[in-house]
Amino acid sequence: MNEFVIDVRGEQCPIPVIKTRKALEEHKDCRAFVVLTGDENAAQNVQRMAKNRGYAAEIAAGSNGSYSVHITAKDGAQPEAPLQHSELACTVSAASAGAVVAIGSEVMGTGNYELGHLLMKSFIYALSQQENLPSAMLFYNGGAHLTCEGSPALEDLRQLEEQGTEVLTCGTCLDFYGLKDKLAVGQISNMYVIAEKMLQASHVIRP
Amino acid sequence: MRAKRLWLVVTFPSTTAAMAMESYCRQHEVPGRLIPVPTSISAGCGMCWRAPIEERERIGNAITEAALTGTLLYEVWI
Repeated sequence: MNEFVIDVRGEQCPIPVIKTRKALEEHKDCRAFVVLTGDENAAQNVQRMAKNRGYAAEIAAGSNGSYSVHITAKDGAQPEAPLQHSELACTVSAASAGAVVAIGSEVMGTGNYELGHLLMKSFIYALSQQENLPSAMLFYNGGAHLTCEGSPALEDLRQLEEQGTEVLTCGTCLDFYGLKDKLAVGQISNMYVIAEKMLQASHVIRP
Repeated sequence: MRAKRLWLVVTFPSTTAAMAMESYCRQHEVPGRLIPVPTSISAGCGMCWRAPIEERERIGNAITEAALTGTLLYEVWI
């Protein structure tokens, strides 16, 4: 499939978003576009703008710090929709702003235990699939089970760690549950570090 | 950035059916795992079984033997 190329390398935010939106509107007959940029935030902003207008948009990272956003027209796409203020904001990714996820239980939400367990697994998987990852994940009390041998979340937590998310588990909690020798991902931490990470976070997420 | 690959994805008519699939597959060592249904399949909420694409036959047998109905199979880049 031929892609219409929109080269915004060297352009500063919000120019990549504006130029891409203009190209989508002017080339409505074209089904596929590729936006070339050297800035990850610009790629994310372009992707968000395209998705807001009903397009499919995927980011691919090049080997030399370049990014390409592949945009595909879907039925009902609306390239002419005016740009919103939020789309023109030059946002910093959540990763660099330091979002922290604090997990204090094996389950997500209250109610049925089995469902809560499934939802927590599902949440951690979904987190591992995001473009912007948290800077750290903190596990304490019942949440400490999730970083230990036998946890269904290990594969996803290892993937998050490989991509730069710090995985920290409360040592007191591991000791209390008899899990100190069972930690299978990340590092043992203490309450000072947990408090510090929370204070320094741009925002703390408790699923 | 994560490299995507092609997976076999099975959707179910209910969350309990998805959990039954997980239980059956764990018991019979059928490969795969539950994940949230990818947004490319449905914007709704739900769980699906994701398995290696080459396991189609075993997955099909598992669905039959677990007596699960109303399932749909997809091939999805995840």
